[in-house]
Amino acid sequence: MSTTPQGIHSLAFRVMRLCNPSFPVDPPFRVDPADLFFGEDMFDDPLLALSPLLSTHLSKSTDSSDMSFADRYLLHHPSDAMGFSGLLLLPQSFGAIYLGETFCSYISINNSSTFEVKDIIIKAEIQTERERILLLDTSKSPVGSIRAGGHYDFIVEHDVKELGAYTMVCTALYNDGGERKYLPQFFKFVVANPLSVRTKVRTVKETTYLEACIENQTKSNLYVDQVEFEPAPHWSVTILKADGLLHPADSLTAGEIVKPPILVRSGGGIHNYLYQIKLSSSGSEQLKSKRSNILGKLQITWRTNLGEPGRLQTQQILGVPWSCQEMELQVLEIPSLINLDRPFSVHLKLTNLTEREMGPFEVWLSQNSANEEKFVMINGLQIMVVPQVEAFGSTDLYLNLIATKLGVQRISGIVVFDTLEKRTFDPLADVEIFVESD
Amino acid sequence: MDEPTPATDRPTNQFGSLNNLAHELASLEDLAIRGSWRSIIDKVSRTRSLNLLTSPHDHLIYLSYNVLALSKLSRFADASSEIDTLDDFNSHYYKYETYPQLYPNRSGSMIPFSLRFIHAQLPMKLENRQEGLDRFYLLLKFIREKIKEKESDNLHDSVKTWKRRENFVLNCLIGHHLGDKEFNVCLDLIKDLINRDYLDPVLVSKLGCIQMQIGDIEGAKVSFNRVEMMLNEGKNDGYSFLSEVQFRNLVNRNKALVYLVGKDYVSAVREYEECIERDHTDVVAINNKALCLMYLRDLSDSIKVLEKALERIPTIALDETLFVPGFEVRLIAEIVQVLISKDGRDFARL
Repeated sequence: MSTTPQGIHSLAFRVMRLCNPSFPVDPPFRVDPADLFFGEDMFDDPLLALSPLLSTHLSKSTDSSDMSFADRYLLHHPSDAMGFSGLLLLPQSFGAIYLGETFCSYISINNSSTFEVKDIIIKAEIQTERERILLLDTSKSPVGSIRAGGHYDFIVEHDVKELGAYTMVCTALYNDGGERKYLPQFFKFVVANPLSVRTKVRTVKETTYLEACIENQTKSNLYVDQVEFEPAPHWSVTILKADGLLHPADSLTAGEIVKPPILVRSGGGIHNYLYQIKLSSSGSEQLKSKRSNILGKLQITWRTNLGEPGRLQTQQILGVPWSCQEMELQVLEIPSLINLDRPFSVHLKLTNLTEREMGPFEVWLSQNSANEEKFVMINGLQIMVVPQVEAFGSTDLYLNLIATKLGVQRISGIVVFDTLEKRTFDPLADVEIFVESD
Repeated sequence: MDEPTPATDRPTNQFGSLNNLAHELASLEDLAIRGSWRSIIDKVSRTRSLNLLTSPHDHLIYLSYNVLALSKLSRFADASSEIDTLDDFNSHYYKYETYPQLYPNRSGSMIPFSLRFIHAQLPMKLENRQEGLDRFYLLLKFIREKIKEKESDNLHDSVKTWKRRENFVLNCLIGHHLGDKEFNVCLDLIKDLINRDYLDPVLVSKLGCIQMQIGDIEGAKVSFNRVEMMLNEGKNDGYSFLSEVQFRNLVNRNKALVYLVGKDYVSAVREYEECIERDHTDVVAINNKALCLMYLRDLSDSIKVLEKALERIPTIALDETLFVPGFEVRLIAEIVQVLISKDGRDFARL
């Protein structure tokens, strides 16, 4: 078996991308004769309507059995002006192919020689950087023969899930008058990303808000059909819409009016979505202990020719990292007047949010990781010992602090350390104070 | 037929023949019907240079034919320049009452309405879509004001004419928005048209097609069912635009589309064959059937269908506008000739 040099093959592959067809639209220059023969206000004259002229020319325009050029100039029907006849066309060129679409190709293998070709085994395979996928293999049932000048056709399909360069490799193994020949042909195309998705997550108390911005990176307007947020287990999601109505995202019942399509303009047009995400009550316990902050994924569907869908899913979207909710430290009171170099007392409350006794604890002010100089520090013993706190109970602490610089300063890095479990709880968020002179 | 009493002003004299309306209008019209646009340009040029046009309305009608011919020949910049030689359309120069000697007892605008239409559509072809859309919407406003004006003057025929023009401009707008995939606007405009005083099966079918394009298959089926009901209830009176055969074919083609989108190409082909049997000049059915055969892996038959059509309807081979099936014939025939380089060039650009 030889891989014969190019040009000596009897067979050759020819391919054409086959996607859904589309309705071409081209509003034509076609007119009503009355709008050409007469001034536009001529019909104010009632006598004109009686003219035999009009009926002669009107009938000409509606006579569609007359296959002359008249129908390119005159309007048969008022909606001819739309330039949209219901005729379907395949795209003129390969076009762009995007992630999430289905690649479909018509492949024709043609025998251009003057003799019959036999025992043809055809394979078609898609190769990307990461994988090879077999689309077609006729080895189990080889094509018996292709006569001189004849051809054999097939259609292959592949869901595009990877970006970058693709090669479709078509190979034919055949008998060409005694010699077994091998023909490989390569067809290349590139897959691009049609959309980019930017997300922002904000947490307000127990509710997380997810803002998603979808941007169209293609050269034509994109019609986005659905953008659904699939929450991770234990989460529930509600989509928020500008008109104030809350629609539970997964309760579109069959028969409900289809949502109008959302147009996202070409080359950078965007559309925003807002979701409200809450933990279902059963999930909160497990999640808090697992410290999981995966919120879920966005699933986007758009439509191309004749409603053919393309689908993409984002990666897992993460929420704001959990701060430890076992122990809660709150600032209850800071004195209104804080003087430079004079000790002041800050009233804190440590709450045990768990169902078991926690502690005893040690509380101190940690050094900043940036090793910045601190202008607010503990006055006196640097570590305060706090006894155990019962389940769901709380205890009051008074930290004695002193500020060594004027102006707006921060109390930062208050750490609570569980001496029994040898665990540190996240430091309290910075508190700002204003330091005045004496 | 009652002959109107002869008026003394030329344009309304008898309305007997086209040549009463303008100098050698019958000849211009004949050339237009035959698609001889270059001949029209020659004739206009000759007529002008020989100073054979004597009245303002003659000039305007000739200019309109010239501009239309230039547009048909895709000479959009030339067409635009020619229109620019005119004053503002609403100028008194183009009103009958400005020339009482020529048009006694006549008033109003002598601008042929087509000129306003072409003026609005030209920017679209000159890559200035926004300007084109603005002009269309302004034209719509202008038409609506005219309708009100004529209604208050009880000029019934004129009202009918202006309403036809309103309908026409709305259809143009739907087409232009559709071309840019602005489906929401299209759906609103089409539904608005449909909700007016008549039910138009062709329009409802087009609505169905648009719904199909955006993936609203259920909505499309509802629209197509409406059309079928209109056929069964014989709701074609007042709508002389569609013959019985055309109406039936419309219904079959709508059915075929539903099958096609559901990838049931065999049933789609069957529907289209029924259409072609009834009317062998149904180019949409012919073209779409050929397309279905492609999806059924039957390239040979697909080409045969189109070649046969070409023999029977030679005029469709000319691809003056994008959607003429001749283009599709070339497209499919070329597949067989296309050679892709073996070392891997891009997919064929057909």
